[in-house]
Order: sequence, then C-alpha cells, then structure tokens
Amino acid sequence: MRSLKNILWLTGKELRAIRGDRVMLVLIAYVFTLAVWLVSDAASTEIDHLSVAVIDEDHSQLSARLIDAIQPPLFATPALLGPAEAEAAQRDGREVLVLAIPPDFERDLRAGHDAELMVLVDATAVAQAGNGATFLRQVLAQELARWRAPGADGTALVDVVFRNRFNPNLTSRWFSAVMQLMNNVTILMLILSGASLIREREHGTIEHVLVMPVRPHEIVFSKILASGAVILGASLLSLIVVVQGVMGVPVAGSVALYAAGAAIYVVAVASLGLLMASFTRNMGQFGLLVIPVMVIMILLSGGMTPLESMPEWLQWVLRAISPATHFVIFAQAVLYRGAGLALVWGEMAMMAAMAAVAVAIVLGRFRKILGG
Amino acid sequence: MEVLARPDPGEAVARLAGVRHLYGATQALGGDAGGVDLDIPAGVMAGLIGPDGVGKSTLLALVAGVRRLQTGRVQVLGGDMADRRHRAASAARIAYMPQGLGRNLYPTLSVRENLEFFSRLFGQAPQERAHRIDRLLAATGLAPFPDRPAGKLSGGMKQKLGLCAALLHDPDLLILDEPTTGVDPLSRRQFWELIDTIRAERPGMSVLTATAYMEEADRFDWIAALDDGQVIATGTPDDLRARTGEATLEAAFVALLPPTRRARGGKVELRPRDHAGARIAIEAEGLTRRFGDFTAVDNVSFRIPEGEIFGFLGSNGCGKTTTMKMLTGLLDPSAGTTRLFGAPLGAADVEARLRIGYMSQNFSLYSELTVRQNLVLHARLYGVAPERRAARIAEVLEEFALAEVAGAMPDSLPLGLRQRLQLAVAMIHEPKVLILDEPTSGVDPIARDEFWVRLMSLSRDRGVTIFISTHFMNEAERCDRISLMHAGRVLEVGPPAEIVARRGAESLEAAFIDVLEAEGAGDAPHPQTPPQTPSETAPETAATAALIPQGPETRRRAGLPAGLRRLMAYSWRETLELTRDPIRLFFALVGPVVLLLAMGFGISFDVDRLSLAVNDLDRSAESRRLVDAFTAIRQFEQKPDLTGPADIDARMGLGGLTLALEIPDGFGRDLHRGDVPEISLWVDGAMPFRAETARGYALGVLEDFADKAATEEGLGTADPVTIETRYLFNQAFKSAHAMVPSVLMLILMLIPAIMSAVSVVREKETGTIANFRSAPVRRIEFLIGKQIPYLVLAWVAFWMLVGIGLWIFGVPLTGNLAALGLAALLYVTATTGFGQFVSSFTSSQVAAVFATAVVSVIPTVNFSGLIVPVSSLAPSGRALGQAFPGAWFQPVSVGTFVKGFGWSEAATGILALAGFAGAYLILSILALRKQEA
Repeated sequence: MRSLKNILWLTGKELRAIRGDRVMLVLIAYVFTLAVWLVSDAASTEIDHLSVAVIDEDHSQLSARLIDAIQPPLFATPALLGPAEAEAAQRDGREVLVLAIPPDFERDLRAGHDAELMVLVDATAVAQAGNGATFLRQVLAQELARWRAPGADGTALVDVVFRNRFNPNLTSRWFSAVMQLMNNVTILMLILSGASLIREREHGTIEHVLVMPVRPHEIVFSKILASGAVILGASLLSLIVVVQGVMGVPVAGSVALYAAGAAIYVVAVASLGLLMASFTRNMGQFGLLVIPVMVIMILLSGGMTPLESMPEWLQWVLRAISPATHFVIFAQAVLYRGAGLALVWGEMAMMAAMAAVAVAIVLGRFRKILGG
Repeated sequence: MEVLARPDPGEAVARLAGVRHLYGATQALGGDAGGVDLDIPAGVMAGLIGPDGVGKSTLLALVAGVRRLQTGRVQVLGGDMADRRHRAASAARIAYMPQGLGRNLYPTLSVRENLEFFSRLFGQAPQERAHRIDRLLAATGLAPFPDRPAGKLSGGMKQKLGLCAALLHDPDLLILDEPTTGVDPLSRRQFWELIDTIRAERPGMSVLTATAYMEEADRFDWIAALDDGQVIATGTPDDLRARTGEATLEAAFVALLPPTRRARGGKVELRPRDHAGARIAIEAEGLTRRFGDFTAVDNVSFRIPEGEIFGFLGSNGCGKTTTMKMLTGLLDPSAGTTRLFGAPLGAADVEARLRIGYMSQNFSLYSELTVRQNLVLHARLYGVAPERRAARIAEVLEEFALAEVAGAMPDSLPLGLRQRLQLAVAMIHEPKVLILDEPTSGVDPIARDEFWVRLMSLSRDRGVTIFISTHFMNEAERCDRISLMHAGRVLEVGPPAEIVARRGAESLEAAFIDVLEAEGAGDAPHPQTPPQTPSETAPETAATAALIPQGPETRRRAGLPAGLRRLMAYSWRETLELTRDPIRLFFALVGPVVLLLAMGFGISFDVDRLSLAVNDLDRSAESRRLVDAFTAIRQFEQKPDLTGPADIDARMGLGGLTLALEIPDGFGRDLHRGDVPEISLWVDGAMPFRAETARGYALGVLEDFADKAATEEGLGTADPVTIETRYLFNQAFKSAHAMVPSVLMLILMLIPAIMSAVSVVREKETGTIANFRSAPVRRIEFLIGKQIPYLVLAWVAFWMLVGIGLWIFGVPLTGNLAALGLAALLYVTATTGFGQFVSSFTSSQVAAVFATAVVSVIPTVNFSGLIVPVSSLAPSGRALGQAFPGAWFQPVSVGTFVKGFGWSEAATGILALAGFAGAYLILSILALRKQEA
C-alpha cells in the first residue's frame, strides 16, 4: 500500500518533469501528428505510378497497342527512349522498368514465328522491381492475348477471383500508418525512459531519493509509468484522431484490446530503455547504444519487411529479444483482422515477459549503478 | 593586430559604467537605479565580496568578455568589451577561471595534457610549451603527478591546476571567480601564497577575484563590496574596517549592509549541551569502503551521542562524502557496521531512513518542482500523515522563511535559499538524526549564520543529532566535537578547543594544517597517493621556481597559421577525450558493424515460403494438378487443408496463413468442356507488400498451368511470345546487394550524428565551454577542430563496412572506389556536422540526443531510398528526404557498388554532399554563441 502510494507520488513528479520540457513536448507532438501522416502517405511499397520507359524499335500497330496498355495508376505513362538513353535513365535511378520491343516484332508474330519481348528491371529497387516486373508482364500478356483473339473476353483457361482479406485494395498506408505509430513509440520510449535515469544520476537526485524510505523498484516503476502514460496516451490519440480520423484508415478490431497490448509494449520498451541506461555512464554512451537498438527494433520488427523473409536464426533471435516483433503481429491481428484476446494473448505474454526480465536486471543493478 | 598599451599601476584595468544585467526578468546586476559604476584598479589584487546571488560572477564574466553585455559600458585593458575586435585582441591578455572546482578542466585528461591543451590553444612552440609547463608544475607542487587525470585530483589541486592553465599565457589580467570555495584550509592557504608569488614576479599583472571567505579578503589590496546587484562600498580592507569601526572584515561587511538585510538571522549563540541520559545515536565501527583497489574510507569508527553536533573536517576527496553515504545507507560498507540508536543499519532498511534527514553536497532536489511541490512530495514520501501534512508544510515554510518563495522554482533562487530549502526538506519528517554534507559550501556569511542558528536550535531544543561536514573553521568551532579526516582515515577526534590545545596551535585552522602537514599530505592529489617526501609538497617550492619564464616578446611561433593551430589543439584534445572513453569508442565502431550485419541479413524482400492452404472441393485430377503447380515452387509452403470458408478467417486472423486457394466443385469438368472455371484466392492484405508479391507468384503459377494445360489438351496454342525479364545491376535479385549499400547510408547518418551531437553541449553542461569563450579562438576553429576526430572515426567505420559488404555479403564493387571514398568522407562530414548543429543550439545532452535521434531517424529510414526508391516517393516525402544528406549519398553508394558509377555519375551526389557539409557548418557557427547571454 505504502509502496503503491510512493510510486504514485513519484509518478506525479515525473509527469511534471515531462510537462516542463518544452523541446520534448514539441517533438512528441510532431512525431505523433505530422510524422505519422507524412511517412504513411509518402513512403509506400505498393506499385503505384511505377516509372517505365519503352524502347520501341518496331514502330508497329502492335507495339503502339502494347505501349498504350501500360497505364496509370499502376504505372506512370511510359517514356519513349532510345537504347542509350534508357540505359542512362535506369542507371541514374530515374526509371525502374524498361520494356524493349525488338524490330519486326509484329511482322514476326504475324508470320507465325516466335518473338521475344524484354523487360529490363533495376533490381536495386528491391521493394518494387520484382512485383512491378510481374505486373508489367501480366499487362503485356493480356494485351497480346486480346490482339491474337480479338473479341474474346480474355483467353485464360481459368478465371481467378482475388479477394484480399482485411485490406481490399492493398493500400499500404493503412499498414504503414500503424507501423509508423509503433516506430514512434519505440523511438520516444527508449530515449525518454533511459534519459530520465541518466539525468537523475548526473544531477545526483537519484541519491537523494534513495536516502528516503523509497525503494528502487518504486523509482523504476514510477519512471515507466509516467513516460509510458504520456506516450501511450499520445499514440492512442494519434490512432483515433490522425490515423482513423484524418487519414481515414478503418480499424477492424477492438481499440480497447489494442490499447491494452500497446500498454504492454510501451512498458516493455521503457524497461529496455532503463536497462540500456543502467549499462551506460553518460548520455554520449547511451546515445550510441540506443541508436542501433532503435534502428534494429524498427527495421527488423516485421513491419517494414516480412519477418518470415529473414533467416531462421535471425527470426529466433528477434523474437527472443525484440518486443517489436511481437507487437507487429499483435497489432496486425487486432487492428486489421479483428482478432480477439484468444488469438493474441501469446504475443502479449511474450512482451510482458520481456518487460519483466528487463526490469529485474535493472533492479538488480540499481545499487551498483550508484556505487560505480 | 591592434597594439595594446600595458596599463600603468594606479590606472583602472577595468571601468564599468551604468552596467545592468538581467536573467530573464530577474535583475542580476545594476538594480533599479542607474546600474553599476565601478573602476577596478590595475596592477593590484582586487576583490569582490558579498553574499551569493548579488552579481559577483556576472560582473566578473562581463569583465572577462565571456558574457554578453546588455546595458552600459565595460572597458577592459583600454578597450570597449562590446567591440568584437577588441575582445578578440584582448582575449590572449585575459585569463578567466570560472566558479566551481575544476570547472574549466577536462577531467579525463591528465594534469600535463590539460596544460598542453591550453598551451597549444595559445600557439606556443613545443619547446617553450614543455619549459613553461615544467616550471608551473614545479611551482605549484603538481610536478609529482603529471599523469594523473584532472578529475581524480583533490579540490585544492584542481584549483591549482586551473590556475596553471590560466597563467600559461602570461595574462595581464587574471580573473578568478571564487577560486577557493569548497577547498580545505591548507590548500586555500597554499593557493593564495601561490598568487602572491606570481604577483611578486609580475608586478604589472592585475588580479580580479571574488570570494565568499571574508578572512581571505583581508589579503586583497582593494575591495568592492556588493549587495543586491549594487556596489555598496569600495576601498582597502583597512578603509572598510575603519569606516564601520568593526574589528573583522566580516563584521564590517554586515555593518555596511542596509539594516533590513542585516537583522535577519541574529548571532549564533553557543549553548552547552545537556548530557543527561543521552543515548548513542550514531555508532560506526571499523567502517571501510573500497572502490576497486582504492580504499576511500579506511577503518573509521566513532560514537555520537544524541543531540550532539559532530563536525567532520578534511580535504576534498578524503572520504567524508563516502562515509556519510554509508551512514545514510546509500552505500553498503565493504567492512564494518553502522548502528542507529543501537540497531544495525542495512541498505534496504526503510524504517531507519525515517529517522534520518540527509542533505547532499550538491543541490539535489527536483528543479522541475516548485519549493512547495518539493516539500509536498517529500512529506508524502516520508509518510507524514495526511492530516498533519498541510500543517507541517506550513510550519516548515514559516520556520525556514520560505513562505515568500513557496511558488518559485528552485533554480531561480540564490544558493543560500536553495540550501535552506534542502535543509527544510531534510527536516520535513522531523528526523532524529541529520546528516549534512557541506551544507554551507558557497553560501555567504549571513546565510551561514542563519543556518547555524537553526542547527543550534534543532540540537539543543529538540535533541536532534547533527553530523555535519564543513570547510569553514568558524563553523567547526561551533561543533561539540569534530573529527579530522585525511586519506580515508580519521586523524583527530575531540572538542575543537581540546584539539587546538593538544596541537599547541593558536587556532583551529592552524591545528588543522598542522595535522595535515604532519601526515605529509597537504597537496596530495588523492588519498591513494603513496606517502611523499616533504620537499614535494611544501609550499616553499613555489619560491624556488620562477613561474613566468619569458616575456611575451620572446614568444616564438610555430610554422602554422594561428587559426589552424588552435583548430588542431581542439582536435587533439577531443581525440584524447575520445580515447579516454573506451566504451564510447567501442560503441562507435561496433555499433555500425552490428547494424550492418543485422540489416544486411534481416532486411530482405525475397519473399519465400508463403503459407498456403487449399480447400479443394473438386478433388479431380485437374484440381490436384493445379494444387501441385502451386506447391511445386519454393515460394509457397503448403499448410494443412482448409475445412471450410470459416477456417480462412480464423487462420488468417493470426497471420498464420497468407494465401488460401479454393477450387470449386466441377473445376475439372468445366476445364474439359472448355468452359472457364472460376477459382478463388484469398490473400492476407494486412501487409500489402507481401500480399502483392503473393499475388504475383500466384498469377505466374496460373499462367504456367494454363500454358501447359493448353499444350497438352490441345485446347489452344502455346503463346508464341516469350517475355524475358532481365534483372540489371543485381542479376540474382538478391536483397543484400541492394540493401548493403543503402544500409551504409543509414548507419553513417545516425551513428556519426549522435556521436557529435553531444560534443558541444557536453562542454556547456560541464562548464569547459568557458575556455572557448575566454580564449582567443574563433567559432569555426572550435567547431571544425572538434568535428575532425568524429569525422575520421566515422570514415574508418565506413571502410570497415565496405569490407564487410564485399567479403561477408559478397556484394560486387563495380564502380570507382575512390569516388565512393570521397563521397563517404563528405557524407560523414555532413552527418557529423548535423550532430554538431543540434549540439550548438541545445542546452542539455539529453535534449541533443533526443532531437538528433527523432529528427534524423524518420527521414533517413523512410525517405532516403532505404526501402522505397526516392523516385517513387510522394512529392512531400521526396522533398523531406532530399533535405537530408542521406538521399544524396544513397544513389552514389548503390551506384558505385552495383551500377558501375565512376566520377562523372557520382559528381552530382558529391557536390550536393559538399554543400550539406558546408551548410551545417555555417548553421552551427550561427547557432553557437561565443558569449553567454
């Protein structure tokens, strides 16, 4: 009871400290409004207005028809270039795909000969090149089929009906908006909680607190609680106002369940921040440690690129140490697929376990931190 | 360079006219009427005296030119300090030592390295440098410890080293801001003797100093007494005493104050203690504390009865604070025990803490809470009953005269008031024992007397046991008993008068110095030093070595331009500091490697083993063939069959299934008839990239299936057109080939920026920025000098990363490596420059790290071509990306690795990066202030 009260008083103190820091408040506001919108709006892995150039050496009716088939919104209106120009454009990164139509393409086909089209792909644009090439081939194949059998409504043997569950148009901003929220929570929590410990140590206030009838766990919990409450509140507000409201991303599942999982994630990340702070002596060291951890958590969470594409060993390592991987699975399941507690409790338990381990280590080191 | 006349004795070295200074809305100097007018005589030792917060430090900083003049005129050494050119010209003639023990020293650098840095800054040739440093070290008694880090010196030694640094360039005006505050009596005496020696050798030098010790002011030739931002009297110490008719300067000063300020505290009344029935309150037995192989406290024992005021004296770093921390339970002793009212004290003993009030050496209350909020928080944490809380807080506010400032923030209060607040907080729960660690250090005489009136009353009226450490002898004399500590051991314990008698000394100060000198200690930098011969420590050595080796006319210049030399001095020092922090160095080199390995292996767009489940309602040969076509390629991995439509939702719900294929009843039949059967594919759209890829693969499989079926069944002709896809620059379409060069961009943005982000702001926090402000060094020299080590370190990391890319990930290198090397050099110059820019305008390391991370991570990860090519970004994202150097380096990096870039292709990027490097430097110069506001 006494312990609980102490945590409460100390949390109040931490909240006041956050409120007093203008720079921090401005950055938090920026990150949860403008940055969320900007990132999910501007950076997308979906094939959308992909730049294509055509080297047309045939100049026939058919080649013109093929060029016409390459249309927005999937592709940008293709540029007609000579071979040398096309090569330069691809080298500079201006065009991702180049379609080469050989001379006498139409004549060869009409004569019953085989003919070959070439699609050149800038394979350094890995996120878009592969899918872009596949889609381009499809467009070309369809157009060629229509040309050979005019009037036929598609010559496919099998008709495929694609149904995209949970995100009918495969809009990537739905996905990236929520992932961006998670990334921001990660960045802010790691630094906020870690810095609060290092700052107290540098100012000597932590010693002062420890002389009082206050125990280390009360200090640690109050820090997690205060910074966690602020960031969780800001991220939920951002989800409801910016993501759902302004950006119009539909949320399938229960916001309450999401909030519960997000709370666990916030606690886990805050504990990780404190853990790193307990192993470093000053902000210079902490900054250098937190950056790689932060980047790995964000980029290898499964939110940027699929977790299952990573090597097996790395997947295991990440699942064991990074709460972000569990949060991504949790968030996708709840927000898009409307999953209930029964489906996601395992991920929640993993995040909670990570938080517990980190806090246990921090508490174990607490006196050592002061001594050294 | 302007030729400056040396001031004649008797003339003023500094003239202030109508000077006023505000901090925010608080008047620090000048008051309401007219401002400060003051002529400080040249060629003498001039001193400022007065309580805290009356503007002494502000005045000194204005004279030194390190603080920006707001109103009025300050003329120093015959020129106007508002004139930038005069400031630059006179910087080499003024030496400024800021307040605080070793505030202008670099703690991780050794004694000699510290001096070497200042020497390099003033452009002394190596030979002259060695000569001067040796002389100064010999004269100050620091010669035996040239390799000891400055941070490990005792307070007195730090101040001597600071003085050496100030004297290294033969200043004409030496400005010392409270140089002896917090220093033990012996070191204090030695310090002033040193100053006398220097002045004897250089009679033309003017010294301007401030002090909180009134007895020291007796040494000064000329005194200006300040109160409340105004000069209330000037003259020689004798003048002041004569004018007020008081015997001591301290009394004279109090008499000079307006009556309203004088009457506050009253005299400290020494009352005998009532011994009857006193229990033992604190009992320590064989207390020992070791840090590694260093023994900070060595077998200390004492018994303190209830109600006693027990004084704890000793030089800085002798183990006083460590002992006190063990008494409060903050530190566990390595050996020995502490008992509080007979009960042993453990570190986790919460009950015992309720009986102790502790006040640490530095202000350690929360500066983000107001005075009242601090009291409320502590009352709650100490478990003061809720019904009693309000009354107790009101009581304490009243008792410690804090009611007026209850709503103020602690930072806005003068030191004396803050100390009072700390004591009030320590007393809020009415503890039986008070442990006070140098509570009056830096506090002016009036406030100190007030403080002692309170302590007396607590001890005598309420029976509170007080354990207090102090450097003031008049305070020590008020204690019931004192102990003298040195090098972790207690040398003397007893009532002050008894110790004086036992030592046959005339005063307690003399007795104290006697004890220390008997130990051969005096100047020992740290308790762990082996015993020294007296000749090493005796202050007499000062007389034997000339302090000022040469006049300025014999100063030789090294071959390089002065600006470049100063720049290199900063690079040299920053490099040394970096090598003294091996953890930072380790992170700086290992962080990038770990990141590259993790990203290189981890970020992959090679979508494999997509989970696929089938609901085959037809179960014909054709449908089985279709299923086989799907599972034949490695991109799909078959999971157990679906049981029905509901199963799709359940399994996709948790992300266990990416693709579901449903083949309707009659599929085979329709196919044979030439009808077009309809199959359904469900794709998990929660992750769009994966969904699109899965769809692409599925279409490919179906195309193939249709082709084969058509040929075999003769239902159509095979397609005569083959569409060949050729992957350029990355034939194997391996993610690593594209990712490694891009991840290079990411790493070399974030790590160097965060590294340099603390470089400038750390100096602001520790106070060494004062050297930059007072030395004749320009902003551009300071910034570039500090940037170079980080830039080199980042460039080294770049080559390591290139090596890992080539040999571990097997990324080909098809372009011009030299062009990439140059681009990388410019890139890390830009990224370290970005960090420095943030560092230049922030005021704390926390804010700098926070801002750098938040501002740089988002555009670098999202808008610089790491995942999505810059050419496919929406205009807003593209613009944001191109506003950072990463988006310009990424194409060069990728191009040189896999696209065969040479100089001409890389030229745009290289030019843009050079532009960023220059722009960040200019922004940093604009954001960095040479003078404090």
